[in-house]
Order: sequence, then C-alpha cells, then structure tokens
Amino acid sequence: MRYAEKLLLAILAIIIAFPLLYAFSLSLFSPMDFTDQQAHLLPSRFSLENYRMALGNRYYPLFVFNSIITAALQAFLRLAISIAAAFAFTHLRFRGKRIVLSLLLITMFIPPDALLYPNYSTIRAFGLLDTYAAIILPSLFSASSLLMLLGIYSTYDRNIYDAAVIDGAGDIRYILNILMPLTRSIAAAIFLQTFITGFNSYLWPLLVTSRMRMRTVQVGISMLGFAESGEYGAQFAAIMMITFPFLIILLIVRKKLMKTLSGNIIN
Amino acid sequence: MKSNNLKAYLLLMPSLILAGVFSFFPLAKSIIGSFCTISQQGEIIGFAGLDNYISLFSDKAFVSSIGHTLLFLVIFLPLNTLLILLAAVLTRRKEKHTAIAECIFLTPMAISLSSMALIFREIFRGRISIINRLFSMDIPWLESPDYAIAVLAFLGVFLDFGIDYILLLSSFRKIDKSIIEAAAIDGAGDLRTLFMIELPEARPMLAVIVFLAIKDAVMISAPVMILTAGGPFRSTETIMYYYYLEAFRSGNHGAETSIATLMAAFSGLMVLALAKWRKHDEIC
Repeated sequence: MRYAEKLLLAILAIIIAFPLLYAFSLSLFSPMDFTDQQAHLLPSRFSLENYRMALGNRYYPLFVFNSIITAALQAFLRLAISIAAAFAFTHLRFRGKRIVLSLLLITMFIPPDALLYPNYSTIRAFGLLDTYAAIILPSLFSASSLLMLLGIYSTYDRNIYDAAVIDGAGDIRYILNILMPLTRSIAAAIFLQTFITGFNSYLWPLLVTSRMRMRTVQVGISMLGFAESGEYGAQFAAIMMITFPFLIILLIVRKKLMKTLSGNIIN
Repeated sequence: MKSNNLKAYLLLMPSLILAGVFSFFPLAKSIIGSFCTISQQGEIIGFAGLDNYISLFSDKAFVSSIGHTLLFLVIFLPLNTLLILLAAVLTRRKEKHTAIAECIFLTPMAISLSSMALIFREIFRGRISIINRLFSMDIPWLESPDYAIAVLAFLGVFLDFGIDYILLLSSFRKIDKSIIEAAAIDGAGDLRTLFMIELPEARPMLAVIVFLAIKDAVMISAPVMILTAGGPFRSTETIMYYYYLEAFRSGNHGAETSIATLMAAFSGLMVLALAKWRKHDEIC
C-alpha cells in the first residue's frame, strides 16, 4: 500500500470512528464540560459518575430489560416460524405450493414503514397496546429470513428425510436432530440479525407503547430525564452501555460474518 | 411420495397469518382507503375518487416534503456511495493494518439509530459545537434550515455504513485471485486492475447497495424525528415524517392512505427496476 493510500485510509477511519469515540468521551463529561463556551473534545477530569447515575436511574435498567426480552422473543419466534415454513416448502408436497410461496415472498416488497398506521390500528383493535406482543408481532414473519433458509434447506438430500421417516423419526425430531445441526450457522445469523434489528428498532415501539414501564431502551433513552436536569453525560453513559455489548459481539463474529457473506454458508 | 396438505398448511399457518394481518390487510386497507372519504376515527364514509390525492398534492407542506426528501437523497447518495466505495477499495487486499481498519469500519453497526442520532445532535449542536471547534468553523448546523438537512444526510451515511461496507468488501474479496495475479504479470498497475477488473466484478453488489440506499432514503423518517423533529422551520420534514404527522397527530387518513399507496407503488417499482437492471447486466 502506498503512502497516499495509507493516509486516506487513516483519515477515513478517523471520520468513521469519531462518533463512537466522541460519545465515549461525552459519557465521561462533567455537567460543566457541556455548558462551557468552548466545546470540549475530552472530559476535564476522569470520573465514572455518569455511569453510576445512569445505572441508578429508575427506568434505565427496566428499558434495557424490555429491549432484551422483546428482541430475544422476536429472534426466537421468527426463526421458529421461518424454519417451519422453509421445511414445509422444501420437504413436503402439497397443493398450492407455488402460489403460497409467491404470496409470502411478495411481502418483501411491501414497505412496513408505509403501513404504520393501519398496523397500529390493528394492534389497538386487538387490545394489545402497551404489551410485548404489540412490539414484536408485526416483525415476526420475514420473507428474507424465509428466503435464506429456503436456499440452504433445498440443497439437502431428500433421501435422508425419507430414511428418517421410515425409521419412525417424526418431523420435529428430524428438524431438531438432523436439519438444524447441519444449518447451524445460517440459523445463528438469522437469530443474531433479528435480535439486533429488534433491539435497535425505534419507530414501531414508540408508537405502540405509552406507559413508561413498557418503553424499550431505544425509545426511552431520550426520556430518562437527564437532558432536562442538565445531566447530558448520563445520557451518553446510557448510550455507551448498550453499545459496548454489540461492539464486542460484532468484533467476535467479524470473521465468521465475512465468511458467511462470501458464500461459504455451510459449515 | 404422498402429499401432506394438512401438515404443510399447519406448518405454514403462522407465516400466512402474520403476512396476511400485517402486510396484505394493511396494504389493501390503504389502497382502498385512498379512494374513499375517511373520518378522523378511520371509518370509510364514502367514495372519493382521486380527491385524497388531489388534496395531498395541493398541500404545500406535502409538496415541500418531497423537495426535502429529494434534497436529502441528492446529498446522501453520492456521499454514501463514495465513502463505502473508498473504504472497501482501500481495504480490499488483506494486509497488516487493514484488519484494524476493517474493525473500525464495522463499528457504526454496533450503534443503534437513536443513539447515533443523539450523538449527532451533540456533535452538530450549533455554533459552539465540537465540529466547529475542530475545524474552526462558525456554522449553526442544526439550528439553520440550510445546514440541518446536510447533517441529516451525514447521519444517514453512518447508519448504513457498516452493513454496506461488509457487503461491498465481501464482493471484492470473492473475486478470483488468479485473474488479479494474471493482470499483474501482464504489467497492469494497481489502478488499472482496480478499474478494469475489480470494479466491474463488484458492480452488481454496488448496484444493490445503491438501489437499497435510494429506497431507504426516500422512506427516511425515524432519524428525522430524533435529530431535528422536522425543524428548524420545517426544513427537514421528509415525506414519511409528514406521513407520521398526518396519520398520528392530525388524523388525516386521506393523506395517510394515499401516501402509503404511493410509497408501496414506489417500492414495487424500485424492485422491478433492480430486477430488470440485473437481468440486463447479466446478458451484457
């Protein structure tokens, strides 16, 4: 690599890393650092007071808990629903297969953001506002997750399934003991991706929850009351505490992620 | 092999119900509703023909929201494409220091939309913001209608950067090494190899990224809500933010249903265009 390229790469890396680094710095700021006439790059003194304050907040731990529960439920249920459907499409013969498959895949082209209001009124009509179900229901079925599984399930040898059925293994046992272990990495990818998307979603949880107790952390983070009382630092400490775990997971799965994307899906 | 109608449909039931209730039903409801008069409570009162569309396009706020969305797109798309292309090109060959850069370029993926928007709100706070101090500028950023949309576009770049980067990088790394080595033996320089071999090979993935970026940019709403709430002076009100205000604040269901219909049509057209483009590209 030439000198100019290295320099360009370094500049780009600094730009991309800046928001994260600055947020970390902000999370250590004292209230004075925020109100100073000149904006600071670094905190005037080192203190973890903001983290203590965020953790001591009445709602913050609850918001994080709500987010983890809904994201995990969403990821688990979406995976189960997609596996059931992908299994039916690739292993069973039934009437109307092609039509049903096209119907399900078409949903990929229907933008959910443009359907926020009718979906909100459906949830309200079911009496589900302010529940975990309201937060997760609309994103439980995903055509792209189904498509990922269809791609991999269709490469499996039908003879193994037929043999398993003859041996008296039920479908559930076949899925759990044979199909799942062979397609572990793609299932893990779907789970992780759904978990992250669920944990990070903002607009939908904002609309279907109104009680503080039901808010997720993405929605609630600006409602913790820190900004109102001038404790901006605590808000950034709260942000950093939900970012760190994802950062670590991301760096751990980085190589695997690249491999999965390069087409080497089965392992 | 016997057929398993009952079993298959039992397994497919959750998918079918969810797709029906949360995709097809609301879509049909929006399309039908857009041609009807709807009360504030959301009940259909009568047939309206194209009235909803006519009043939507005669609302100045809606027309200017189209303008803001296009302006956002015009700033966001070139900036986004240039930056991810630059990042992927500079790290496409594995070398000692590229692993560090790779990690850094993935980090935006760990930061959620609302966190990133709150961080940007602080970075571009106004005249006394850190960005002004670092570059000795005196720009009011989020407090000015002229700059707020640019900050929004910059935020958009960071929101998609991580995922776009790995998609593009993986398509560069998938290229057969022997072609690149053969080109090097033939005396092709680094730049020549990049433009004649590697970029054409990565083009289909770049096209997908650009199409998805356009689709996302036209649909942008949540970042607007957190970063600017449409302000200052409604200068960052995008189409979907306008939709949110009309649907959830004003109870204007004529506007809500017609925007939903138009957006679904747009999204369908984008997908068709991409499919057609890819087919065309494969033949060439």
